[in-house]
Amino acid sequence: MLLNRQNSGERWRKRRDGKEKVTGELRYLTDMTAEGMLYGRVLRSSHPHARILSLDTSAAENHEGVVAVITHRDVPGLNRFGIAVPDQPALCEDTVRYIGDAIAAVAAITPEIAAYALSLIRVEYEVMETITDPMRALEDTAPRLHPQGNVLHRTQVKHGDAARALQNCAYVVKEIYSTPRQMHAYMETEGGLFIPEPDGRLTVYAPTQHGYKDRMQIARILDWEEERIRVISSPIGGSFGGKDELNVQPYGSLLALKSGRPVKMHNSRMESVRAGLKRHPMKIEMETGMDEHGRLKAHRVRIVADTGAYATLGAPVLNFATEHCMGPYRWEHMDVEGISVYTNNGVSGEFRGFGGNQAIFAMEGQMDRLAELIGMDPWEFRMLNRRYPDDPGPLQQEIWRTNGLEQVMQALAQSSLWQRRRAMSDPSAYDFLSDASSPPWIKRGIGAALAMHGAGLGYGIDDPAGGRLSLNAAGQIEAAFSYEEFGQGLITTLEIMLMDLFHCTSEDISIVIGDTDRVPHSGSSTASRSTTMAWMGLQRLKNPFLQAILQKAHDMTGIPLEQLTTGEQGIWQVTLEDDTEVSREWVISYREIAAEAQGNEFTFDTKFSYPTTPDEVVGGHFLYTYAAVAAEVEVNTLSGHVRLLDTYHTVAAGPAINPMGFIGQIEGGSVMALGFTLTEDAVMEEGHYMTRNMDTYMIPGIQDMHTSLEVEAIEDLPENDPFGPRGIGEIGSVALAPAITAAIRQATGTWVTQLPVARDQLIRPAGVWQQEGVRP
Amino acid sequence: MTKTTGIQWQAVVNGKAREIEVPPSRRLLDILREDLDLTGTKISCEIGRCGACMVLIDGEPMNSCLMMAYQCAGSEITTIEGLHGETAEELHPIQEAFLEEGGFQCGYCTPGMIISTKALLDRIPQPGEQEIKEGLCGNLCRCTGYGGIMRAVESAADKCAYRSLPSPVVGP
Ligand code: FES
Ligand code: FES
Repeated sequence: MLLNRQNSGERWRKRRDGKEKVTGELRYLTDMTAEGMLYGRVLRSSHPHARILSLDTSAAENHEGVVAVITHRDVPGLNRFGIAVPDQPALCEDTVRYIGDAIAAVAAITPEIAAYALSLIRVEYEVMETITDPMRALEDTAPRLHPQGNVLHRTQVKHGDAARALQNCAYVVKEIYSTPRQMHAYMETEGGLFIPEPDGRLTVYAPTQHGYKDRMQIARILDWEEERIRVISSPIGGSFGGKDELNVQPYGSLLALKSGRPVKMHNSRMESVRAGLKRHPMKIEMETGMDEHGRLKAHRVRIVADTGAYATLGAPVLNFATEHCMGPYRWEHMDVEGISVYTNNGVSGEFRGFGGNQAIFAMEGQMDRLAELIGMDPWEFRMLNRRYPDDPGPLQQEIWRTNGLEQVMQALAQSSLWQRRRAMSDPSAYDFLSDASSPPWIKRGIGAALAMHGAGLGYGIDDPAGGRLSLNAAGQIEAAFSYEEFGQGLITTLEIMLMDLFHCTSEDISIVIGDTDRVPHSGSSTASRSTTMAWMGLQRLKNPFLQAILQKAHDMTGIPLEQLTTGEQGIWQVTLEDDTEVSREWVISYREIAAEAQGNEFTFDTKFSYPTTPDEVVGGHFLYTYAAVAAEVEVNTLSGHVRLLDTYHTVAAGPAINPMGFIGQIEGGSVMALGFTLTEDAVMEEGHYMTRNMDTYMIPGIQDMHTSLEVEAIEDLPENDPFGPRGIGEIGSVALAPAITAAIRQATGTWVTQLPVARDQLIRPAGVWQQEGVRP
Repeated sequence: MTKTTGIQWQAVVNGKAREIEVPPSRRLLDILREDLDLTGTKISCEIGRCGACMVLIDGEPMNSCLMMAYQCAGSEITTIEGLHGETAEELHPIQEAFLEEGGFQCGYCTPGMIISTKALLDRIPQPGEQEIKEGLCGNLCRCTGYGGIMRAVESAADKCAYRSLPSPVVGP
């Protein structure tokens, strides 16, 4: 179904959190204040790599208005954090490894005094060699950034004999792709409010994608019982993976406890750039061979990821890139090796798409080059080589069977955008593609790409889910999850699911998220998993919950149980004749039932895990979402400027529960990918950021937006599919880059291998079309 | 540090006369968010690039992160909190349109977007696509990809024309 407001009917709902957002009433966690509040600031390293020889905070401590100063000596517990591998110092003891490393922090009565106090802290450094290139980090002579060396993680996938097979292939394409250090650029920078409570607890108001994980990590740093900490973590002004790791929480918490007063932290944009996570820059070398009929035979891939100074999710990201660098295709011989390397660059971590973006850009680039080499239509070439529904997953693991791939491929082939491409696939028609009214140096092209994207954390990683359903004292059906709302529309998706299940109205519903004191541990909002997990949780909770309240309604009224049903405001008696409703009468309100509740009679919990493949393949996924994207671009060959004109996204993710949210996620992901492709790069030189704010780090603005973006949702799932709707938070962002670069190829003849696309590559005298780039 | 002497800063903020003592170089953004507790105006880049801090000063859209107290003293300032429909409880048609069309996700850019849209529609009641893009080119959004925002602005233009509301409606 083509998704838009008209086609969505009643499911097109105004967001539950919308009114507060459009009126400015909503208090984000960084908008909060408290009586007697102090302002916290962090002193970060002056050098990307240095030893700390001495650290003197006395002048800062003695300055008027400064209430607390902390260094590593003030960390009672583990002075490390990291969502997977805790190797990042909260406050550095002896060595700094990147420009965002924290050395001290202060809390003062005004932000100005806090900032000034930082300048009074004396740090003596012994500067060390800065490693900015992963290849240099791998040399024997390179200094070791961590005790175990400079390699964070390696991956390997091998079957068949790729090296031999490549020699026997009729055609081979070899290319090296590289991708930028993309920045999340959420509009709300990191921050929050940290309150020491009179009862000895600590309340942390700070955005995260997983309140419980933060609570655990903060407790570890403070050496406290987790239960003493309450983490309130939504609403969030954007995350995209960037706030999943702790950021200001260690400093806010430590300062609040040391000063005994509430402390507010809010990073400036520059500080956010300096300290925050980025997408892993990757170099991906691919050698791909096929036979004389265009059948893929062998694929040899080498991935080098620059993980920066600390681990965070560098290893899982590399696993994901490894899994996704072979695409949804059939191979006889496969040889992939990946390595994730520490450097003194900014820390790379989780980012929407999770390494899939880099891998899919390279893989799809290979497909286009191979198709062209053999003179086939690129989509037919993909059709010929696509995996079949019964085939194992990319890592030879068992995966859940759907027809998603087939469906997105068909849908794209039929899209008007691709039909237009078909009509002009002959290179001599390229000029014809250009608008007759535009000058001869303006060239147009159309390209397409395919993605198969895993959801969930993958085999071997604890991936808990769960939830709670209850009838609360106010007589509302209350659903509680430890998921977070960072803009994706989860709250409304939950609301629609509950209305579907209980036929009630939105007023009958209460949704509780983002507060560790009020929600059960049901896993994180990450890896496109929340929608599926919430749906599965509610399926499990629905029957016990219904049974309990309908039984109570029966006990209270004597009306036969089988005639009772939930509906607007309460329980209704429905009489059916031949399965059609003949009458509906009011019975009793939810509130009246709630008033009769004994203890937790109407509270139900469930716990389960995200579905995983039964095969022992670390990081291997079980559920995949499929997408195909077509893009039309216009290239000005005098300036090298590329403009995206038209885009078509089709996504096979099961029922679109919340169409407004669905479109929003695909459109937002798509434009974020546009930035990844054309303009975004957090440039570093010698370990320092050259792009420190939104004036030099260029995310797309409304002027860069394409005139048309069509989103088609393929909503079928296999009959009785037990997993329900699949997440779509990432899939909109993973396949646009290769579609754009394929379109650039058609428009200009240039094969792009490096993102963001360098303009000077595309500048050429008008009217000249050169063949280049393919090496047989 | 020596204490800077303040000025008596006066302005009409969302229809209400306000007077406070602040240093002349205090940013309007901080006056609004911290001194007047109007946190609907957001803070993001602080260099005039993202538009999260957009407010109307005498009807013109301005980045409050670049505006100092002395520059806007005596003016009429409208923030997102001052925008509403015919009565204070009602939404402005622009807000209504953002809600209906999915013109926001995390909502952090939204107050600025809505303020810029207001300024645009006051100037050009029925803007074309290019005019909308020009009107909103000073506002960045990382979530929506601008699709929902485009639809919202188009629908807002229709709503405003249809209701032919006197603009701007500034509340008490
Ligand atoms: S905060 Fe003022 S323009 Fe970005
Ligand atoms: S809605 Fe999040 S930045 Fe615009």
